[in-house]
Amino acid sequence: MTTELTTDAQETLAAWPAAAIERGVRNGEPDWALAQRRAAAEVAERLPFPDRRLELWRRTDFGSLSLASLRPFAPGSRARNLDDLPPAIIERLAGGDGNLGLVVQRNSEVALEQTHPKLERQGVLLCSMERALREHPERLDGFLGSLVEVDHDRFTALSCSIRAGGAFVYVPDGVDAALPVRLFQWLDGVGAVVAPHTVIVLGRGARATVIEEQLSETLEGTSFHAGATEVFLGDEAKLVYATLQDWGRNVFHYSNQRAHLGRDAELQWVQILLGGRMTKTNSYFGLGGSGAQAFVHGFMFGDGTQHFDLHTLQRHLKDHTTSDLLIKGALKDRARSVYQGLIQVSEGAQRTDAYQANRNLLLSDRARADSIPGLEILANDVRCTHGATIGQVDEEQMFYLMARGLPRNQAQRLIVEGFFVPVLDRIPLEDVREHLRHAIEKKIG
Amino acid sequence: MTTASTTGIREGYEEKYGFHDTEQHVFKSRRGLSREIVQEISEMKGEPLWMRDYRLKALEIFEKKPMPTWGGNVQEIDFQNIYYYVKPTSEEAKSWEDVPADMKRTFDRLGIPEAEQKFLAGVGAQYDSEVVYHKIKESLEKQGVIFLSCDHALKEHEELFKQYFGTVIPSTDNKFAALNSAVWSGGSFIYVPKGVHVDVPLQAYFRINTKDMGQFERTLIIVDEGAYVHYVEGCTAPTYSSDSLHSAVVEIIVKAGARCRYTTIQNWSNNVYNLVTKRAVAYRDATMEWVDGNLGSKLTMKYPSVYMMEPGAHGEILSIAFAGKGQHQDAGGKVVHAAPHTTSKIISKSISKDGGRAGYRGLVKVAKGATDCKSTVNCDALLLDEQSRSDTYPYMEIEEDRVSIGHEATVSKIGDEQLFYLQSRGIDKEEAAAMIVSGFIEPIVKELPMEYAVEMNRLIQLQMEGSVG
Repeated sequence: MTTELTTDAQETLAAWPAAAIERGVRNGEPDWALAQRRAAAEVAERLPFPDRRLELWRRTDFGSLSLASLRPFAPGSRARNLDDLPPAIIERLAGGDGNLGLVVQRNSEVALEQTHPKLERQGVLLCSMERALREHPERLDGFLGSLVEVDHDRFTALSCSIRAGGAFVYVPDGVDAALPVRLFQWLDGVGAVVAPHTVIVLGRGARATVIEEQLSETLEGTSFHAGATEVFLGDEAKLVYATLQDWGRNVFHYSNQRAHLGRDAELQWVQILLGGRMTKTNSYFGLGGSGAQAFVHGFMFGDGTQHFDLHTLQRHLKDHTTSDLLIKGALKDRARSVYQGLIQVSEGAQRTDAYQANRNLLLSDRARADSIPGLEILANDVRCTHGATIGQVDEEQMFYLMARGLPRNQAQRLIVEGFFVPVLDRIPLEDVREHLRHAIEKKIG
Repeated sequence: MTTASTTGIREGYEEKYGFHDTEQHVFKSRRGLSREIVQEISEMKGEPLWMRDYRLKALEIFEKKPMPTWGGNVQEIDFQNIYYYVKPTSEEAKSWEDVPADMKRTFDRLGIPEAEQKFLAGVGAQYDSEVVYHKIKESLEKQGVIFLSCDHALKEHEELFKQYFGTVIPSTDNKFAALNSAVWSGGSFIYVPKGVHVDVPLQAYFRINTKDMGQFERTLIIVDEGAYVHYVEGCTAPTYSSDSLHSAVVEIIVKAGARCRYTTIQNWSNNVYNLVTKRAVAYRDATMEWVDGNLGSKLTMKYPSVYMMEPGAHGEILSIAFAGKGQHQDAGGKVVHAAPHTTSKIISKSISKDGGRAGYRGLVKVAKGATDCKSTVNCDALLLDEQSRSDTYPYMEIEEDRVSIGHEATVSKIGDEQLFYLQSRGIDKEEAAAMIVSGFIEPIVKELPMEYAVEMNRLIQLQMEGSVG
């Protein structure tokens, strides 16, 4: 977005926040949420669209996204039951026995919100963001919008001002959610801007598993997803959280994911990027209580001309905190990946144990991987290590497999699959794992 | 831990290096930077027209380029408060007898003439803006080795000079390279002819004496096919209350089969901004090695780089950064694999103490078509107390698949177990800590010539004095 917007385009964009506020009022949003929208709109007006002059945008150019030609708030037809959902989502849920909590977003609206009696009995709240703001505003106050920095860049500010959709998951103190929660986002057609915001709150000692998937078909034309997720773990809470981005190849994906952990809380986070045309994801977590632990495992697998840009931040704010991050990337054809990560250890965060690794596999001589793993350490009694590697498929491994009679392409497939196994093994549900294995296989071709 | 501050870091610098002579110079420009000053410098030097024009163009580039917003804090540099050119003597001497007494005494105190006799093949000594002494062993001169101040080289070997000057680091490279290109003065020029091995090091010593001075030396080294040279530079300055600026440009061309090693022991006083651009190009089967020790200065931003242009080229960067109180060492290195079958290695060791900030900032780049490259980067950082800070920012940009690139970094503190082990053998805590630090940087120090290794260890010990309470 290096070019200045035309006057027409500026006018188009300037009209969005007002429409968003109108929608919010109609929906019965509390005043503080509307005030957040207004503040974000002001920030968006003030900031330029990010370009190469910003360190975090040096390697990713959304210049080909002509935002003003898209339209926000695309309606999504309400589903009466599972059968009304897009076939791809029905297929995803086919293996299960319906023992889950479910929120499905279609375009800018929530098509289906379906909690489960078991979860209800436990006091677990699961619903669309709109319903949560209407019916449980006190549960969201102080959480929604508190972790995402609205002035992070203009896309973030825009996303906060035109927020539409997303889910709210709330697990009360001491409750171990009996069933997994699955969140889906689906896009019909093209030309849409969607900005869902999801908030997950686990009370003290609570436990839950949440899996979030973003899906659409590849179509002619452009769509833009600019979403956010904020995760709050109370003291001693534990969340297993998987995010899977598998948009069609016509979707620009911009996402801010933030998590804050209390004392002795634990976050197991699986982060998978497969789809989209261009992806820019900022995944940050803060270890805000002594003894908090976060484990992040993720991979990106690009083919064609796909572009992935993942920025991670491991913030150790308190003493005796642990983080362990592994991001793997495989690239085919002319795909490109950027991994930029930073471990920050604050003053006084002694006895920190932080690890960060980025492993890249280049499967084509036209692919490109950039890796920037950084450390900023302001405490001395710490153990912080990071490592990054970039290489090709090991010829010795290939030789070993081919010597056992496997043709070259099969040997390579086996090695690439093996490369992803350490991440796949972290995914909590077998059918999601199976689906991903299948997706990887398809990508390897 | 902090009883240390009574003695403080860089204890001893004041007596050994922090002194200054009373100012005596034959010319001193007005404060500040302008076209007139640049023209004046060029005229004083009696330079050819093309060089004057080059300087003026570089000045325009400098004025256009924004200040870097990354790395260290350079916003406080007041470019209009600096003296850009201070000429200490009217002539460059070939014998120490001809160097003015005060300046000779300074270099005596720094041990330069003594070192020259003992183990160097040639010495250049720069005092403020100009080289006051330059000498090379006759035997090398006979073999065609040229070792001159850059100003003299421009006069005596204009064609050779012009052929390479500014080809590795154009004045558009960055703001400080542009500044240097506009006001450069002094530095070394080395040409080593085909096949000549200069077995003992050539050394340059850079000394700032004048307050509010900017030193902008320019070094150009050409190592012809199959030749070898080891160049060593050292630098110190008096401790003034206001800040000085040192902004050098070093360009190196290592031709086929040649090898060049460039060793720096940077020990500026804590009031010097040290913003230096160093880059080498290495051709077929050539080797370029940077050994970069940064102990002094207020802020150093320096990332020696190697561009491997042809197959078989090898680049190596060994970097030590030690940041004490009030210091920020933003050190590192860059290797660019521009051809297939090239290899590189970066080892960085940084130490932070008394609230100092030391870091590694680096780049490994593999260009399109540069297949079968190998690069490894190892960064280790040691934090000696809880006020200090360590940063690691490694950049890897890889555009080829048939490559093997690895980066590893660790940050740690001195282990209590290590200290206990040494103390239980009767070594006091301070000495034990110094030993551990010496061991930490040993992989790099062992690459230094013996005399420098001894000096380096001594400097580290100086830095470590009173560090553990």
